Order: sequence, then structure tokens, then C-alpha cells
Amino acid sequence: MASIRRILKFVVIALALLPSLFPIYWMVMTAFKPHDEWVTKEAILFTTRPTYENFLILFNPEATSYVSFTAIRTSIYHALYNSLILSIGGTILALVVGTLAAYAMSRFRAGGDVMPQLILMFRMMPPIAAMIPITIMYSAFRWVDTHQGLIVTYGLFNLPFVVWLMKSFFDDVPREVDEAAFVDGWSYWGTFTRVVLPLTYTGLAVTGLFIYILTWSDFLVVLLLTNVRADTIPIFLANYSTAYGELYGPLAATGTFAIIPPVVIGLAIQRYLVRGFTFGAIKR
Amino acid sequence: MDAVTVKGLTKKFGNKTVLDNLSFECRDKEFLCFLGRPGAGKTTLLRTIAGLEKIDEGEVQIRGRRVNDVIPSERDIAMVFQNLALYTGWTVYDNIASPLRAHKVPKNGIKKSVAEVAKLLRIEHLLERTPVTASGGEKQRIAIARALVRRPQVFLMDEPLSNLDALLRLNMRVELKRMQRELGQTIIYATPDQLEAMSMADRIGLLYKGVMHQLADPETIYSHPATKTVAGFIGSPSMNFIDGSVNYVGVKTVLDFGAFKLDISKYRSVVESEGSKSELTLGVRPENLKVTHEKTSPESIESLVIMEEPLGSETIIHVKIGDNLVKAIVPPTFETIYREKVWTDIDINKIHLLDPKSEKVIL
Repeated sequence: MASIRRILKFVVIALALLPSLFPIYWMVMTAFKPHDEWVTKEAILFTTRPTYENFLILFNPEATSYVSFTAIRTSIYHALYNSLILSIGGTILALVVGTLAAYAMSRFRAGGDVMPQLILMFRMMPPIAAMIPITIMYSAFRWVDTHQGLIVTYGLFNLPFVVWLMKSFFDDVPREVDEAAFVDGWSYWGTFTRVVLPLTYTGLAVTGLFIYILTWSDFLVVLLLTNVRADTIPIFLANYSTAYGELYGPLAATGTFAIIPPVVIGLAIQRYLVRGFTFGAIKR
Repeated sequence: MDAVTVKGLTKKFGNKTVLDNLSFECRDKEFLCFLGRPGAGKTTLLRTIAGLEKIDEGEVQIRGRRVNDVIPSERDIAMVFQNLALYTGWTVYDNIASPLRAHKVPKNGIKKSVAEVAKLLRIEHLLERTPVTASGGEKQRIAIARALVRRPQVFLMDEPLSNLDALLRLNMRVELKRMQRELGQTIIYATPDQLEAMSMADRIGLLYKGVMHQLADPETIYSHPATKTVAGFIGSPSMNFIDGSVNYVGVKTVLDFGAFKLDISKYRSVVESEGSKSELTLGVRPENLKVTHEKTSPESIESLVIMEEPLGSETIIHVKIGDNLVKAIVPPTFETIYREKVWTDIDINKIHLLDPKSEKVIL
């Protein structure tokens, strides 16, 4: 009886995971398929002739002959470099500003009751509504197609998430911890950085990863604010939708490559994700 | 010089007055205990002394220095919070060293002080671990060690034992008192537990709805309570109150309760000095009532047994006298059945008389 329930449970979990995991499987598999297999009509579930040709196109388009009919001449390095700089920069900016704001709101009720709502409202607006004025503004002080312009935009756009997430994590740290530190003689800044912030590392990790993934996969902002110098992987991806058709092989290879950084970061901070963050701080 | 002096302290949260015009002083090396129900204002009082709450009126002095506008870390106080508020990310050593580091004490000094206080509180074996792995009693000691390490003028403790299990609480009670004596440390302590207060404190201040009803040593608070609140709060089970009217018959003064009468002629002068009230409340503790199966004296009052609570060393018995439900303590050997007729005697030397209007204890 118990084993039947166990099996049933696994079947249900497998079914639930299928819609999200199968596309990833398909992408990874396609990335390793030879040209004739990803242009063919029938679906090939598992390739028997794996090749790294598709990846070669990403890193060294000149050396590959078989896509010579395409206009692809740029390698992924530039886009990868930009993507890393922009998403890490944007994430750090949002985290620093947002965490400070969240602490002020959680502990000193900065901005009263209205401020958190206002910040949230900012995010409810469709990003495109803000993007047009930002683009015009940036062109005025020549920030279009620059790293700093995009980092500031990403920082700004993701600030509401950071503020709300971090505020809830700070709210979970008992106020008495701050007060104890304050009585001990720590300054406000010392209390924040040395005592309270370390208790929210889990929250910081979760928030950071969340923002990082959002920024890493952004298309809209970077499409509007870049020309050639600051384009990122999502923009680079669009290169493979060519006049000669969709180049599914290189597309899949880029996608496979693009999920590596978030996964690596996710694994690196995993111990913070799983550890109960105020575990044992107080008697409940 | 007094360690802490509080004058006319008033604290409001919005329209609600949580501390109402409190004035008292805590002597040097005194263990002063504030006793009261949850919400009586004990925590707020400690927090105003610590400087974590601004006060609306009045003055707080520490060693004669007015500290109304002095920040907590410069008041030379330390506080143990009810939920302890340990820094879980740090080791126990770092937790205890925190106040010293914040005050930029040199490394060697920190090491020596932490070692000393850890030895005193018997937590040396924990120093390298984090508080997360410590037991309830150990966490308690870590919190106390952190507060103690700087040897503050005044030690504020907000219900520090309230979350420990019963046995551990008894042990910590003894240990706290031992520590306080050994170090000659001034402690201001808040608790809702009268046993804690009675057993540890040099003096007890009874707070009720932000008002200090009495501040006295445990013996005085027990035998000479100032108000009905104090009389009812201290002692377990609590004091019995029966309302009666006073008859002045010739040389005799008699309290008439309807169901029975009580001759209080020996307290006539007290009653007269309070203005010969026509109504008085009798207060008598359960331990000063004697319940027997047989009528032992002409004054014995007929009563009905309603319930008994055997506690092992003694039994609390609830009896009905007229319309009044009264609790009394009888020996554990006293056997009785529901609605049995018994006789109750009041120890006339140990009664209290209260003014029902002002709720002041006049005797």
C-alpha cells in the first residue's frame, strides 16, 4: 500500500515536472544535433550523431563552413561579456540600494506606510511605458548603448523587488536583535552591517539570484537601449532568426550556454538557499 | 548613591498611557524586581531606563546623571531581552565580545573579560560554537554573559526566564541570585511570576496598568499589601475578598457579611482613623483560614465544600460561605466530599481590611 502511494507520488511529480523540464531537454538535445537533424520534419528525440558544431558557430563563426549561407559573422564573446557585466552590475546596484532602503523601511518606517506601496506601484507599470522616456533621456546625455546606462536601468527596474523581498526578510529578524546591538554600543551602521545583514544572507542570496535571472534574460530594455556595443545574449540570440530561416541548432546551443551562469550561481549559493536563516536566533 | 532614580516618568503610546507618573529609586547593588501582569508596563519601563524608548514626561537618572537624552550605549547599562536576541551568525565568543568590540576594547582585554564571564556562567565549552546549537539554559547564560561582560552599572532583565521549562527556571533563579550576590551587581528585573520576584528580589515594585501600586521588600508586600491589586496579586492561591457592612454596636465593631459576622473590635482605632466607613472589604489569605469537620469555636462559620485541589504537600479547598466562594488551605490528609458541611475559622490576627471604594488596604 505504502509503496503504491510512493510510486503514485513519483508519477505525479514527474508529470508536473514534464512541462518545464522537457523543453530544456529538447533545447540541450537540439544543441548537439547535426544540421540535417534540426532542420528535418520529423522530431528526433535523441540524436545518435552528437556534434559540437552548433557551439563552434557561437565561438568561431569564421571557422565553420556549413552555415556560410548565413550572415552570422559575430561570435558570442562580446554578448557574453556584456551580459555578465550588465546583469551582475544591475543586480549589485539593485541589491545595494534596495537593501538599504528595505532596512530603513523595516526599522525606521522610512517613507511611512505609503513609500513601500509607491515603490511597488512603480513595478506594476509595464516597463515599456518607462522605456520610451528613458531612451529619450539617455540619448540626451549619451548613455544609450553604454554599460552604465543599462546598469542604472536594471538597478532601477528591479529595485521594487529587492525592496519588497528584503523588507520581508528584515521584518523577520526580531527588532530586539537591533536593540541588543545598539545597547552593546554598535552604531546604526554597525548594527546593520555587522549584526542584522548577516542574519539575512539567505534572503540576500534568494533576492540576488532572482534579480540576476531577470536581468540576464531581459530583452526589452537592452533592445531599446543598445545598438552594437552593449548587446547581450538575448539580443545575440535574435541574430539566428535570419532571412534564411531559424537556425535552431545555434539557437539551442546559445540557449544551453546561457543557462549555465544562473545554474552555477544557484549552486554556489545553494547553502544559503536551504539554511533556515534566523534559525535559533530567538525563542519562539 | 542610587544606581537609578526615576522621577515622574510618564510614557504614552498614542493616547494610551502605559507608564503613569512613576517615581522610584534603585539602590546600589540592589536586586529590584518589577512584578505585574503582561501589559502592566514592565517591559516599557525597562526600555525607558535602557534608552530604547523616549519618555514623555519625567526624568531618568543613572548614578545621579540625567540620561533622558543619552543613547543606550552611553548609559552604562546592559539589557537581557525576553527573546534573548542572540546574534546567531556569530560564535558564542563573538556574541559575548560584542559590547567590548563595539567600545573598542583592546584584543587582550576582550579575551580576558570573555574568559572570566564565561567561567562565571559556566559556558566556557560553548565559546567556539554558535548559539544555535546551545540548549535553552545555555542560550540564557550566553545572553546574560553578553550583558555582563562590560560590568555595567545597571543590569536590566526583561522576563529572562519566562521561556525556560519549569525545572530549569528554578535552577536559573538560584543561579541568578548567586551571581548577583557574588558580583554585587545592580539588577532591575521584570517578571510576571510572583515566585521569581519573591525569591530573588531585595525589593518588589508592583505595576498594574502603568501605575506603581507598591514598592517594598517581599515580606512587606506579602504581609502589608498597599492596595487590593497587590493583595490579590501576591500569594498563591490569591487572597479572598468578602464585602461586608460595618455595625458599630456599643463598644463592639462588627463586620456583617449576611451569612456570618466578624468581630473586629480590636481594629476599631484603625477603622475609626480611616473615617469609620460603613462598608469594608475583608481580605484574608487561604493560609489564614482553618477548615474543620467539627465546629471548634462559637465563631466557626458554616460552609459547604465545592471543590478540592490536592497539591501533594497541601490541599486547596474551595468552600461556599453564604454567597461567597472562598479558598482555604487544608492539610493533605483532610478528606472531604462534594457539598459536605464543614466549619471555617478566620484567624482574626491575620486579616486585612480594605476600603471598597478606593481599594486601599487600611489594615
